[in-house]
Amino acid sequence: MKTICKLATLTLMIFAVSGYGFSAAKAENLERGIIGPVNSNVSWSGYSAIALVPGAGLIPVTSTTTVFYLGFTAGSQVDITNMVLYTTARGSSTITAVTPVTLGGISNPMIDLASATVCPVIEISTFNPCIVRLDPTKIVLSALSDYYLVVFFTASDSNNNAIGLTAPQFQQSSLRGSYISGNETQLTVGEAIPSSLTFSNQPYCLMYVMNN
Amino acid sequence: MKTVCKFATLTLLMLAITVCGFAQKTTAPRPETTTQNLVRGVIGPAGSNSSWANYSVFNLVPGSALFPITSTTTVFYFGYTGGTEADIGNMVVYTTARGSLTITAVTPVKLGGVSNPSIVLSNTSVCPVAPSQTTPCIVRFDPTTLTLSPANDYYFAVFYTNDSNNSGISGTQPSNSQTSLSGTYFGGTDYTHLTAGQSIPGASTRSPSFLMYVMNN
Repeated sequence: MKTICKLATLTLMIFAVSGYGFSAAKAENLERGIIGPVNSNVSWSGYSAIALVPGAGLIPVTSTTTVFYLGFTAGSQVDITNMVLYTTARGSSTITAVTPVTLGGISNPMIDLASATVCPVIEISTFNPCIVRLDPTKIVLSALSDYYLVVFFTASDSNNNAIGLTAPQFQQSSLRGSYISGNETQLTVGEAIPSSLTFSNQPYCLMYVMNN
Repeated sequence: MKTVCKFATLTLLMLAITVCGFAQKTTAPRPETTTQNLVRGVIGPAGSNSSWANYSVFNLVPGSALFPITSTTTVFYFGYTGGTEADIGNMVVYTTARGSLTITAVTPVKLGGVSNPSIVLSNTSVCPVAPSQTTPCIVRFDPTTLTLSPANDYYFAVFYTNDSNNSGISGTQPSNSQTSLSGTYFGGTDYTHLTAGQSIPGASTRSPSFLMYVMNN
């Protein structure tokens, strides 16, 4: 009986250890992210950075969550008024859904780029961009839709005047991007992504779209 | 110690029963096939190229760019940016070994069950919004029973009949950096009747014309 008990305890421990190991979700790209070195684009107070995550570029990985990673190259504090994700049909500019995007549970975070817990490498630059992982968004990306991540940097804000966003050098990512003056995070279903935006460039700020 | 052992044994038994339970097959219906990209399609501005009467359009789906998913069907999507009707003489997929221009297989491609369809772009059931460069009309061809392999390249060839309708049509043509697809075209000859052993008439050195997506559904 003692031997059986010992064996049972050992097996249980193995189960516990392997279960813990397997429970960590493997981080995978949902889209081809920024590749190669980045430049910096500065002074974002009062601007909306808009990044297109095209359905046509989705890597066929199934995930119930989507995690966005933002890249900063300069500044000490980022003040965000709001962040959202717009869904459209593939190739269409008409918004079919609006999903809030948060950091630390809120859509209007202040990101302390001077903190070593936020940006381990001090000081941040184009060589050492600070990559900030936003909260996982409960959205399953579909190849039949396009997605627009919009981040509005608070207007008349001296912190935001000093920040730099990553601007990729190589046109190798599937992500596209643009920017526009004013807060474009308040659009609703049925409204359209501004027609003046062409998305012929790589995105500012958005670096990766992953499942974790 | 005895209590710990008893607890461990009980937990293990529960685990075993649970695992066994979850391992049973259920009769629940399989979910519908998720529509997924087989290769990186056209992203960003689609561009445009016009006047296609009497042209053979070749689009290369390179094996080296295939995503690692298995699909027994391949579905091609064309984008039209102008015109009222596209008259297709024939369409096929040529398979070659990766990097080779020698055809090893020919697979017919159809729309509505025929390989020579007329696509009425002015019909709102075909194009809900009139085709333009900013709102291309996406046409989904019938699924082909072709399982793409990274060891092969695939050339989707479409011949546009020499008629006035095709002189007025335009197709999407993005820059090369926006997709893994590429293409080329040849005027004056219908190259959609080549057979195994013959060669693709030329390399794909341009961005893809018309072809926007290659998907599993």
